[in-house]
Amino acid sequence: MSNELLISLYREMLNIRLCEEQLARCHQGGLVHGACHTYVGQEAIAVGVCAHLRTEDVVFSTHRGHGHALAKGVPPRQVFAELFGRATGCSQGRGGSMHLFSPEVGMMGTSGIVGPCILQAAGAGYSFKLMKTDQVAVAFFGDGASNNGAFHEGLNMASIWKLPVLFVCENNQFATEVPFSYSCANPDVASRGASYGMPGVLVNGNDVLAVREAAGEAVRRAKAGNGPTLLECRTYRTRPHAEGMGDFTYRTKEDVEAWKTRCPIKAFRQYLLTEKIVSEGLLTDIEAEIKAVAADAQRFAEASAWPDPATAATHVFAEPTPVKPSSAPATSDDPARQITFMQATLEALRDEMEINPRIFVMGEGIGVRGGNFKTTAGLFEKHGPVRLCDTPICERGFVGMAGGAAMTGTRPVIDFMFADFVLDGLGEIINQIAKMQYMSSGRLKMPVLLRGCIGIGHSAATHHSGSYHTLFAHCPGLRVVVPSNPRDAKGLLKHALRCDDPVVFLEHREILNVKGYVPEDEEIPFGKAAIVREGRDVTVVAVAHMVQHSIKVCEKLSKEGVSVELVDPRTIAPLDVGTILASVHKTGRLLIIDGAFGPFGLGAEIAACVADHGFDDLDAPIRRLHGKHTPTPYSPPLEAAVVPGMSDIEKAIRDLLAE
Amino acid sequence: MAVEIKLPRLDWNMEQGTFIGWLKKPGDQVNVGEPLFTLEGDKAVQEIEATEAGILRLPPNPPKEGDRIPVGTILGYLLAIGEQLPSEAPVPAPQAASQLPAAASPSVRRLAREMGVDLEQVRGTGTTGRITVEDIRAHQQPVVARQADRATQSVVMTPRARRTAKSLGVDGSSIKGTGRNGRIRERDILAIKPAAVTVPLAKTTDDSKIRQVIAERMRHSLQTTAPVTLHTTVDATNLVNVRNQFKAAASSGARVPTITDLFVKLVSRALRQHPRINARWEDTGVVTSEAVNIGLAVDTEAGLLVPVIRDVPGLSLRQLTVRSKELIEKARSRTLPAEAMRGGTFTITNLGSFGIDAFTPIINWPECAILGLGRILKQPAVVDDQIVPREMMTLSLTFDHRIVDGAPAARFLQALCQEILNPVPWLVE
Repeated sequence: MSNELLISLYREMLNIRLCEEQLARCHQGGLVHGACHTYVGQEAIAVGVCAHLRTEDVVFSTHRGHGHALAKGVPPRQVFAELFGRATGCSQGRGGSMHLFSPEVGMMGTSGIVGPCILQAAGAGYSFKLMKTDQVAVAFFGDGASNNGAFHEGLNMASIWKLPVLFVCENNQFATEVPFSYSCANPDVASRGASYGMPGVLVNGNDVLAVREAAGEAVRRAKAGNGPTLLECRTYRTRPHAEGMGDFTYRTKEDVEAWKTRCPIKAFRQYLLTEKIVSEGLLTDIEAEIKAVAADAQRFAEASAWPDPATAATHVFAEPTPVKPSSAPATSDDPARQITFMQATLEALRDEMEINPRIFVMGEGIGVRGGNFKTTAGLFEKHGPVRLCDTPICERGFVGMAGGAAMTGTRPVIDFMFADFVLDGLGEIINQIAKMQYMSSGRLKMPVLLRGCIGIGHSAATHHSGSYHTLFAHCPGLRVVVPSNPRDAKGLLKHALRCDDPVVFLEHREILNVKGYVPEDEEIPFGKAAIVREGRDVTVVAVAHMVQHSIKVCEKLSKEGVSVELVDPRTIAPLDVGTILASVHKTGRLLIIDGAFGPFGLGAEIAACVADHGFDDLDAPIRRLHGKHTPTPYSPPLEAAVVPGMSDIEKAIRDLLAE
Repeated sequence: MAVEIKLPRLDWNMEQGTFIGWLKKPGDQVNVGEPLFTLEGDKAVQEIEATEAGILRLPPNPPKEGDRIPVGTILGYLLAIGEQLPSEAPVPAPQAASQLPAAASPSVRRLAREMGVDLEQVRGTGTTGRITVEDIRAHQQPVVARQADRATQSVVMTPRARRTAKSLGVDGSSIKGTGRNGRIRERDILAIKPAAVTVPLAKTTDDSKIRQVIAERMRHSLQTTAPVTLHTTVDATNLVNVRNQFKAAASSGARVPTITDLFVKLVSRALRQHPRINARWEDTGVVTSEAVNIGLAVDTEAGLLVPVIRDVPGLSLRQLTVRSKELIEKARSRTLPAEAMRGGTFTITNLGSFGIDAFTPIINWPECAILGLGRILKQPAVVDDQIVPREMMTLSLTFDHRIVDGAPAARFLQALCQEILNPVPWLVE
């Protein structure tokens, strides 16, 4: 190893240490506004691993991530400015200490949640495998994360697919303040590699050369296509869990002092001097130089402008992709183009996979089997197992991977079969996928398509019938699509596969076999409601299955002279409030129908919007008709009682007309 | 340079802490990492380490043990050897006594709200300055006016009805609504519209206001009803003869019935025979009217007005003639009282004098139908296989297909035509 390389390792570690100490002072001085978890004592790990990484290799990190960011090449100025909440910060003030993003240098984010980085690194590894590049992904995580489900799911999947990933466990012996020796039945993390069929290597995390060597072997293995490696780096943080927190309720001063004597930087300095690699004078010069860098970073951050509060809600979504206006006719009798909802979405997926090699599908039984609902029928034969990837049953795991894959340039389609199954992956969707574009100030795109069936019917009972669209629509950063017919399903799925935002695409199981005219090639943009039927007396807003019900009710009522205007928002995030308001302006009456739960639901949201912006148009109270607020029962008569049927809809319309 | 020792934030949401005491004495040399002072945060007491080295000096009025101090307050300084305390070192002020308004219980707050009393203006006399019910009452302002306001607000009107009432210049608060629990809906406002325009008519209304009303009424009718117009041509010779007889017999100054007056009488008879045409559509279904009140479309300088002749069957032809002339004159002189335009069940409009034969009148909603009278013109007609000149006229009946179908509407028109062929028995009834 060249002296130059040795000196650069020292320099890197010292850079982290001095920056962290400066940040600790800044925190005490009130310049850091939120939490500040320093990396002091663990520097050898980030530096030893990142020594092997190129800019295009990627790092996914934790709440204790300043060291990873600095070692991966984020300039100290940007780290300081971010912690100071300034516009010049690496996340432009949207992240802070626990959300440092710099995709330009392969720093894919620190995270306030323990575990997801493991899955995201695996997802990045999947991207590299799909695109056949020689990139490597690294997940840094603590001993605490090794007790988390993400560890189990992520390591297993990375291993079965031989993904180019390094799982680097920084075992600093405390998960926040809970001792690892207490919280883990087998505190030997490295030994767990065997459980997943991968090498598990125990390293002295305070020895930068040992870490570097072990990481080098793991990187070679990853690039050779032999799969991931688990590194356990034993270390100790010598500052409190977070700045300002007490440190001696769960550990002793003596322990901390003892570990301070095993400081990785002090030890490596001694090594450089003993081996006569550098002179004392040169080291002193380096120390002065880096001190100046840290001081400069603070000055720069303090002098930087605050972000403009007017931009507080920008970068929640990507710039919309253009949609070619449809030239297809309103209807057609062409028998070849009368297809089911299911066939329509399959066509959309088939067409898009044909033209976009970055699209891949993950889910249970979507490979050879072609999907429980024939969502991928015939595609495996065409595209093979990497693009049609059957997964273990671990929804959180593969949703988390989808996030990492999207962050590294591919376009995952996650097929849940039943949307109920997605709930195990909710944190990955809401905390990670939905927030990633925002946290990274729009520098990461998140084209993830999450699809699954919703809806009550055929005694599916409560774990195969949930309708969760409003739950997703509540959270910023997600597009939520709830189509009601084959044509919309195809056009909207096409858009979902072309736009850069995460899309939750929910297909009502009771309408999968509904047939209708579907044009060959039509893309339908989000946020444009369809007026299914024009009318004068009352506006009915319905989604999914309820649209099909409402059409029949409207036909019946029209024979009595009751003229209903039926509006189908098609996407509820974004919601086309304008079309609804225009309709209410005409009719003066509004009924909202949704099979999902009422409290805090679609009806409440639309009613509030109309009461707000269309108050003077109302000639009657706003009504909503929802499924009962209860889990779905199994027995047919009970089941029928919890979901709005056609007679309920008819009654609700008549009742509203009498107001 | 002097290093400021500031009160640090120990937890995310910590805003102030209790200063417990220094662990070093002023003048002591302090090294990095040495415990410097003790601070009580929200959770626990902690020793705070020095992050810089220097000699501890305190400002002129240093924090005392036990003081509650905001985060960021300067507690002291670490100075280099020989360095002076910065001049005008800020004096930490223990948090001032709370400036919050005096406490008041929820029931007192509710009373204050109801009585419109601003709590911040009230001096509390209860224990620890708490505001009591008596304090509120003592502070009470006259509320008579407010209560009066509330009484007038008891009319429940939908927002849409309010807007329509406003745009029409109507005060709808005195009418009874047709909505649930008597709620006034837009249709109720539109139904009283004529009253609305008369009030301003007498005094201040300009033409554009009436235009607006007409526009709204016409639009609403077309949007709400399912209009169909039937045309038929009838031989009105006998009707013209009857009128000529009235003319010939009239002394000067006596009122001669117009053709329209004769039609009002004949139509009222036909309506009683065909009550469905005298009905209106409600959400619950068709509602027929006992009364036969016929509106006359009157062309005035300001625009179209429709005075209503009430209880036509109860009026003799002479009474009817007097009544219609009076209403038309009042409409043209803008002195028509409000009630005179309410409660119509059917409307007649006559464009014959302008040379119009047939047209498609718009229903005067919420009525079921409107009859348009065309001009009466002598034309060749075949009677008993002879071509003879006859007084012919075309009738245009627009009806609401929601309420009545085509055949019954045609039967009504047919019955009317039969009356026109031999009008006398029906006119003197």
